[in-house]
Amino acid sequence: MAGQSDPHISLFSAAEIEFVAEDELVEIVPNISMEPLNFTCGDFGPFRPQMPTEVPMWLAVALKKRGKCVICPPQWMSVDKLTQVLEAERDTEYAFEPLPFHYVELSRLLFDHAHEDIPDLYMVRTLIEDIRDVRFHKLESSLKLINERVNAVKLKNVSAMEMNIVRPFLVRTLQSFYKLDSPQMIHNPVTTAYRQAQAADRGPRLELRRRHMIDLLRR
Amino acid sequence: MAHYYDINEILMEEENITSTFKVGASEVAVLDPCAETSTVEQGAKVELPFWLAQYLRSKEVVTIDVPPCFDKKTRKEVQADVACVDLRSRCPYFYELGCKIAPMIGDRTIGSFLLVAFRGRYQDILRKAHSTAFVVAPKFLTLLTKEETQLYEAAKSSMTAYKKWRVGGTRFERVPILKKRRKPND
Repeated sequence: MAGQSDPHISLFSAAEIEFVAEDELVEIVPNISMEPLNFTCGDFGPFRPQMPTEVPMWLAVALKKRGKCVICPPQWMSVDKLTQVLEAERDTEYAFEPLPFHYVELSRLLFDHAHEDIPDLYMVRTLIEDIRDVRFHKLESSLKLINERVNAVKLKNVSAMEMNIVRPFLVRTLQSFYKLDSPQMIHNPVTTAYRQAQAADRGPRLELRRRHMIDLLRR
Repeated sequence: MAHYYDINEILMEEENITSTFKVGASEVAVLDPCAETSTVEQGAKVELPFWLAQYLRSKEVVTIDVPPCFDKKTRKEVQADVACVDLRSRCPYFYELGCKIAPMIGDRTIGSFLLVAFRGRYQDILRKAHSTAFVVAPKFLTLLTKEETQLYEAAKSSMTAYKKWRVGGTRFERVPILKKRRKPND
């Protein structure tokens, strides 16, 4: 993809992901009066004091830095909502809760630039850290499911940053599996893989059965 | 998949393979350190690099033996605990060599053997790459083959990059040219 810092291992840097995340819309309450702004990505404003309006994150951060607005934290970033999400994440084994695609980056941007606008900052920060840890652990354990017969894992609601962390590893793993599982390596892939799996799953029983057969033959 | 200029591909072909000469060959004693005359005799077992063995085999001069890294003993060890087998000392290009050599010696079980080995080891790498502290080079790295090391590095570097971003760093990087111009004025 264009703009990638290292196309060889198909990795965006975290800063690049953050840059993409800055296009997300966020609500601000300006304290200035300003005409609407017309950009290629859309028109924003007009800006009137105390009248909430939606702008991209980068614009919100720029206005915030100049002290021209207050950023309203998004709805999902409340202690109640995050506690719910964390509970739900802990309850399920492989499913991910729907969170914004860029939740890691957005929360970091808000913590960095607008920490005074977030109520219960400390709690929110801890909750998001916890959620991220739980989700990442889940992601890891679902990647363990990949093997020669499972070439795809269905993962819904994985966020941009989480995907980016596992991407180089995942791509390489799938390449290796593809290489080792190619038809020229295994002449009749279905039966071989199946037999292999059977042998792996219940090795001892097969052993026993075989021994039994030999016993029968001896008789 | 295999690229002509792929360095790993080239290095892999340097691996020594034990092969048996089907015919006598004169003036090539350099291949066989134990040869007393300048002739390599029929039936002599000689260690040849893979690229040479492959060519000579296609001309029906030699037959290739199964390399020790795919023998019964290794298979038993892989069955016992795949993550602890020191594959690097056996053959740093275990998977690549396996892929190349399986059709040549006509052993169909090598393919599935490789697959089982890789599946078991990849899970272990996945677990360790994301959790180990990133300063110390862990001991288990010495057990990994070339391909597995690359996999481990890929997983680790993306995790390290993420952690670096999270603790924060310079948000704005000044273009080096601007820096130079500013300095005299400051």
